Amino acid sequence: MDNFLALMEGFSVAMQPIYLLYALGGVLVGTAVGVLPGIGPAMTVALLMPITYSLDPTAAIIVFAGIYYGGMYGGSTTSILLNTPGESASIVTALEGNKMAKAGRGAAALATAAIGSFIAGTVATVLLSFVAPYVAEFAVQIGPTEYVALMIVAFLTVGALLGSSVLRGLASLGLGLFIALIGVDALTAQQRYTFGNPFLADGIDVVLVAVALFAVGEALYVASRLRHGPVKVIPVAGRWTSWMRKEDWKRSWKPWLRGTFIGFPVGTIPAGGADVATFLSYASERKLAKGERRKQFGKGAIEGVAGPESANNAAAAGVLVPLLTLGIPTTATAAMMLVAFQRYNIQPGPLLFEVEGALVWALIASLYVGNLMLLVLNLPLVGIWVKILQIPRPYLYSGILVFAAMGAFSVNFTPVDVFVLLVVGVLGFFMRRYGYPIAPLVVGIILGPIFEDQLRRSLAISQGDPIALVSTPIAATIYIVLIVIFALSFWLKKRQKAMESEVVDPTPVAVVEQKEGGK
Amino acid sequence: MSTSLNGTSGGRGTNAAPSRPVGELVFAGLIVCIGIVGFVAGAGIPIPPSAGVVGPRVFPYLVSGIMVAIGIGLIIQLLRGHTGAAEEGEDIDPDVKTDWLTVGKLVGFLAVHIALIVPLGWPVAAAVLFFGSAWSLGAKPWWRNAIIAIVLALILQFVFAGLLGVSLPPGFLLEGVEIFNG
Repeated sequence: MDNFLALMEGFSVAMQPIYLLYALGGVLVGTAVGVLPGIGPAMTVALLMPITYSLDPTAAIIVFAGIYYGGMYGGSTTSILLNTPGESASIVTALEGNKMAKAGRGAAALATAAIGSFIAGTVATVLLSFVAPYVAEFAVQIGPTEYVALMIVAFLTVGALLGSSVLRGLASLGLGLFIALIGVDALTAQQRYTFGNPFLADGIDVVLVAVALFAVGEALYVASRLRHGPVKVIPVAGRWTSWMRKEDWKRSWKPWLRGTFIGFPVGTIPAGGADVATFLSYASERKLAKGERRKQFGKGAIEGVAGPESANNAAAAGVLVPLLTLGIPTTATAAMMLVAFQRYNIQPGPLLFEVEGALVWALIASLYVGNLMLLVLNLPLVGIWVKILQIPRPYLYSGILVFAAMGAFSVNFTPVDVFVLLVVGVLGFFMRRYGYPIAPLVVGIILGPIFEDQLRRSLAISQGDPIALVSTPIAATIYIVLIVIFALSFWLKKRQKAMESEVVDPTPVAVVEQKEGGK
Repeated sequence: MSTSLNGTSGGRGTNAAPSRPVGELVFAGLIVCIGIVGFVAGAGIPIPPSAGVVGPRVFPYLVSGIMVAIGIGLIIQLLRGHTGAAEEGEDIDPDVKTDWLTVGKLVGFLAVHIALIVPLGWPVAAAVLFFGSAWSLGAKPWWRNAIIAIVLALILQFVFAGLLGVSLPPGFLLEGVEIFNG
């Protein structure tokens, strides 16, 4: 029961009034940016990093945890309420909520999403509290060879499975690995790819790259094809207290729980993040629905909102397991959280629970607190979120650019960094335009140096024999699991395409989901 | 925000403008070039005698090789007609043509912003960036854009430099004002 005691201690930290305030600030900012199109939780964490240096580590981590969960809640509000006519494609899991809103059931859709997110978030955080220490205990025993195997799994799943094109994902990953090489080699102190430039010798700051790709790249890309005219938000009728009818509760509670138990495991293994979880949940709810309810799918079935929203949140908690215990991020937001940790000289990984136990448990405790805050705030404040959703887009994207420029300048207080921001931002623009996912690049930049270090160590042990990389039992098992994950996910993608063409009717009013996996 | 992860129009290139494959080919070619540069410049990395079995060149070569291979693979895919699926989003209008002029203006105003930070201070540079971007993106009238730009720049300078101690240079206009200095 050591872990339980440690968790209680975490609560005693997280419940201090000042940290409660930080958590509140975090979830509010997180929800607000989750609601806004064009800004994701990954970008928010990246933007806030340079300007939160004055906070103590615990406060900063609590703020980032709040942003992490808040972003999930905000995203569902957007996909339910934002009416974007003429969208060429759609994502089924976002479709149901949007259809419900159009039928005047927007309030119920928001409520089932919020309550489902709360239940999933809480249950998944409980699972995290109990699973993570055991994974950490296991992780302490593994050597560099196994680490290399785990990181290859993370690279390939993030690179090849996120996004629609395997090659483009891997190219994005490669760009990240390449950018990470610029600078001084940690083991031999030799300059690599610096071309004699003292600025490049310091390496390119990952925060700079992340802000550039997420913020500047996105702003330029949206500007190139901006949807003009007023923002159309579907009105929510009635008071929030009358949102869920008895029938809605009856139809929602099972999908909530199923979504939770689908989402958490999928989140813990790097298999494509929250999107796989939401799709799995949606598919199973649709399969389990009978008769009339089955026919509602595609036209606004509440099960199709309750399940996937829960799965999405549970997966977000699941992602924290490999992040905290192995130091391996499997989504862009997790990658930015890892950077945030590193900024405070905290190295997530097997030793984290031993070395920084107090901080980790405060973080986990603040996840419970944040979830409760989100449930309490989200429903009554929906009017504010709708207002935020309606910010005129020229001002929104101009604001994003100004914030990005400020974040970039604050990294080292030199205009050169803002120039790098611009260059990498243009790269991000073309990546979006040509369908290259952004997340693999960010993961590559962060894991690249760690991967190289472990690779060289394991090859040094084996005296350069590469067979040794696959010959230990654990490493071999990891590679076999990797193959299984790949086979499964390609099968899933096929299923998903088939279901999308089946569910989406010829004149879809689609909303692209604003979810974790993206950035 | 949303990389259309679920492959909704993946590979089909539904909204491909006629000019896109050229740009895509250039981009893929660039990836190959980066790989080649990686090899050439990688050969110039000195290997100190202390480096063990695996020196500082091995991983750069590995990454460069991957880049070249993927870039060639992408070019082959493109020539066969498999174009990329441009990212979708709430604010993206899939039916309009690329507005290069607006993109150019935004890049230009960012460049102006970079040039202004040191001589005029961060608030002025930020206000110019916001005003220029809002104008480029079609916000009207100009005087409202200007008011928002100035107020936003001053608020950011006050909160981050004045309150949080982030060293944003106030510039000679605000040099003497206590609350704008970190």
